[in-house]
Amino acid sequence: MGWRLVAAIALCVSALIYFDDSPRLEPARRVAVDGSSWVLSLAAGPGQILGAMGDYFRSRDSLREDNERLVQENLVLQARTQRLASVLSENARYRALLNSTELLQDDIMVAEVVSVVADPANHLLVLDKGARDGVYVGQPMLGAEGLLGQITMVGERSSRAILISDASHAVPVQVMRNGVRALAEGTGSIEELLIRHLAATTDIEVGDVLVTSGLGGRFPPNYPVAKVVDINLRPEASFASVRAKPLASLDRGRHVLLALAHTESAAP
Amino acid sequence: MTTAHARWVISASLMLALIIYTVPMPRTFAWFRPELPLVVLMYWVLALPHTAGIITATLVGICMAVLQGNTPGALSLGLVVSVLVLLFTYQRVRQFDIVQQSITIALLVGASLIIERVLLLSAGEVVVEGYVFLAPLPLTLLCWYPVRAILRGLRRYYEVR
Repeated sequence: MGWRLVAAIALCVSALIYFDDSPRLEPARRVAVDGSSWVLSLAAGPGQILGAMGDYFRSRDSLREDNERLVQENLVLQARTQRLASVLSENARYRALLNSTELLQDDIMVAEVVSVVADPANHLLVLDKGARDGVYVGQPMLGAEGLLGQITMVGERSSRAILISDASHAVPVQVMRNGVRALAEGTGSIEELLIRHLAATTDIEVGDVLVTSGLGGRFPPNYPVAKVVDINLRPEASFASVRAKPLASLDRGRHVLLALAHTESAAP
Repeated sequence: MTTAHARWVISASLMLALIIYTVPMPRTFAWFRPELPLVVLMYWVLALPHTAGIITATLVGICMAVLQGNTPGALSLGLVVSVLVLLFTYQRVRQFDIVQQSITIALLVGASLIIERVLLLSAGEVVVEGYVFLAPLPLTLLCWYPVRAILRGLRRYYEVR
């Protein structure tokens, strides 16, 4: 038993110290991500098959209603996109006038959520896109309504992403109304983000929308993150604590968007 | 399909337990999900202490941690300690009645969860506050009896040694 015990303890301790960070263990991390996503998708399989059968047996009427609704939504969105395009080109001209050197242009990749990680304490998603599709660690993950999180581990053909609500995650934000900067931390609850240490005199109100500030260089600026729902300001305290509700539905939806943020020099 | 020792039954049962353990469920229920792979591991250590032991415990711990998104190593160390206790006392634990055995297994699983938490905290990981990490223990205790019955049947049918 002796050598087994020593080997086991050595393996555990070195895994604990080196697994998350060591660049040499990147292949091991990729195998871990791919293997675990295979097991998780196997476990999620029966539920998905049931869901797919439910879809298959949906009535013609409900499909037609869906279709009509989507066509209408599509029209509205196309109109908005056209307006956005003109605003973007105008914005680019202004930036050029101001001699702004960098212009952020976002490309989007769609990934499917294969499963969620088993531990309810960790808000992690498993996605079906990996390193061979160009996914990288730190890549921002977006939903239709706002920021969802970022990629933390990448396998060859799958990856793992952390949600903004995870207790170990924080995202630099600013208030859309006036540009006040803050840090929105996850709380471990899917419904809530927390801003601590905000000076008591700061101009922030219930209903304010928080968008990414782009500070830290990880998330592209101006993506909506959360809406302020509660401000706890005691007169004797020097800091206010603000609670916000994520705008994206973090526990719903089968598809997410991965932003391919790359910078381009704007022609003056 | 009886082979020499039929040890594949051990790996297969552990694999199946891991897959069942990771079936997605609503967050509220997920807190109470029994630690099925650990119970299966404890069964094999208790039944075949010369076949399943410390190395098996380490591997199960690493697989669980990877599936849960925790740093691997912490749960493994907790399991190594629990399995070591079981290896020293397996002859006595085998004589226990079902209630005593269930409580023993739940305590050993609880001990490994506590060790995991302490190690994760000391490694600088952020963990959820409070004692909610012990919420799986009641169902873990209850699932010992069915798990033992099923695995005993399998062990006798395939003559695992």
